[in-house]
Amino acid sequence: MPSLTDKAWSPYFAGVIIGLLQIPTFLLMGTALGASSSFVTVGAHLASIVDPGVAQIKYFASHMAGAKNWWQVAIVVGIAVGAFISMSLSGARRQAVSAVWARATGQTSLAARAPIAFVAGFLMLFGARIAGGCTSGHGISGMAQLSVGSTVAVAAMFAGGMLVANLFFKRV
Amino acid sequence: MTVLTGILIGLASGIVFGFVLEKSRVFEPGIIVGQMQLRSFIMLKVFLAAVITGLLVLAVMHGVYGVKLSLKPLVWQADIIGGLVLGAGIALAGACPGTSLAQIGAGYRDAIFVVIGGIAGAITYGYFDAGITAFFAEKGAKVTFDSLVGLPFWMVAVGLAAVLAVFLVVLERMVPWRGEIGADVDGVLPLEETAETGRVGKGAQRA
Repeated sequence: MPSLTDKAWSPYFAGVIIGLLQIPTFLLMGTALGASSSFVTVGAHLASIVDPGVAQIKYFASHMAGAKNWWQVAIVVGIAVGAFISMSLSGARRQAVSAVWARATGQTSLAARAPIAFVAGFLMLFGARIAGGCTSGHGISGMAQLSVGSTVAVAAMFAGGMLVANLFFKRV
Repeated sequence: MTVLTGILIGLASGIVFGFVLEKSRVFEPGIIVGQMQLRSFIMLKVFLAAVITGLLVLAVMHGVYGVKLSLKPLVWQADIIGGLVLGAGIALAGACPGTSLAQIGAGYRDAIFVVIGGIAGAITYGYFDAGITAFFAEKGAKVTFDSLVGLPFWMVAVGLAAVLAVFLVVLERMVPWRGEIGADVDGVLPLEETAETGRVGKGAQRA
């Protein structure tokens, strides 16, 4: 039996639990699991501090208020908390930078990773907002709903990721 | 529903989500980059197990009890171009939008910059949303595979779940997950020298 203090669980057991989270999400929130639009909610509120015109832009306005938007922000905050709890129970605390980057790009310091990480995050959310979802919303949720558009988006995500990981990175 | 109720439900789901993301190690940059180089399959295993479970859950909830789906429209250009850009970002980050938060929780510091970059990307998109959607000029209908083949949702969902489950059984036979986790549970496996190809990860030789 998997224990809460284990460092690693079977990917299948973990995946089943993630899939079961769709039950409370559909029943209580009337929507599917997602993550990327929470970045718009947080971003819109941050932008509105310096640009009062943000609330007049339809896209921002539709992400700023209401239970569904703040529910998703709470999801991603909860993800950080849940990962922290799991890591604390198992003792698998991570270094500042994963050892994989030394192999893939030769970077070992946080200073070298930080600018690339920023650009990576930017591309991730800019792309996710063009496509209207990420690995959660299009991937886990869209494919479970037999959505053709989500399946197309997921295929493109893997294609883009494989291109970059094979063209620009050394073998890990 | 009040905002507070939504936040409490989100926190509860999110904590479970983050807990199992950490336990499955799918949030590890080594596992995400390894998946993109086809040297690790943990990400695909977690992903497909979640999709299979979701398919079965919705076969009952939507197929039997009529709970409404929450579908995104099929917009070919936006789905493909957005997906490619997102995928490039996932490889460079070694994370996806959800797992970047799990990385912060588990101690990776570069993930903080991924999240800051993500917020900047989301703000930038928001300013260009009207222009971008006008450029693509796609109406987008909510197309599902069951409607395309003309069969009931539950039947296609259960059928697809079965096909994906068989695929996972075969995949696990070929590449057992315990062999992919690594000594430091980060998906980074020992490198071995080979004469023809130089340094190659263990995953490549097994596959």
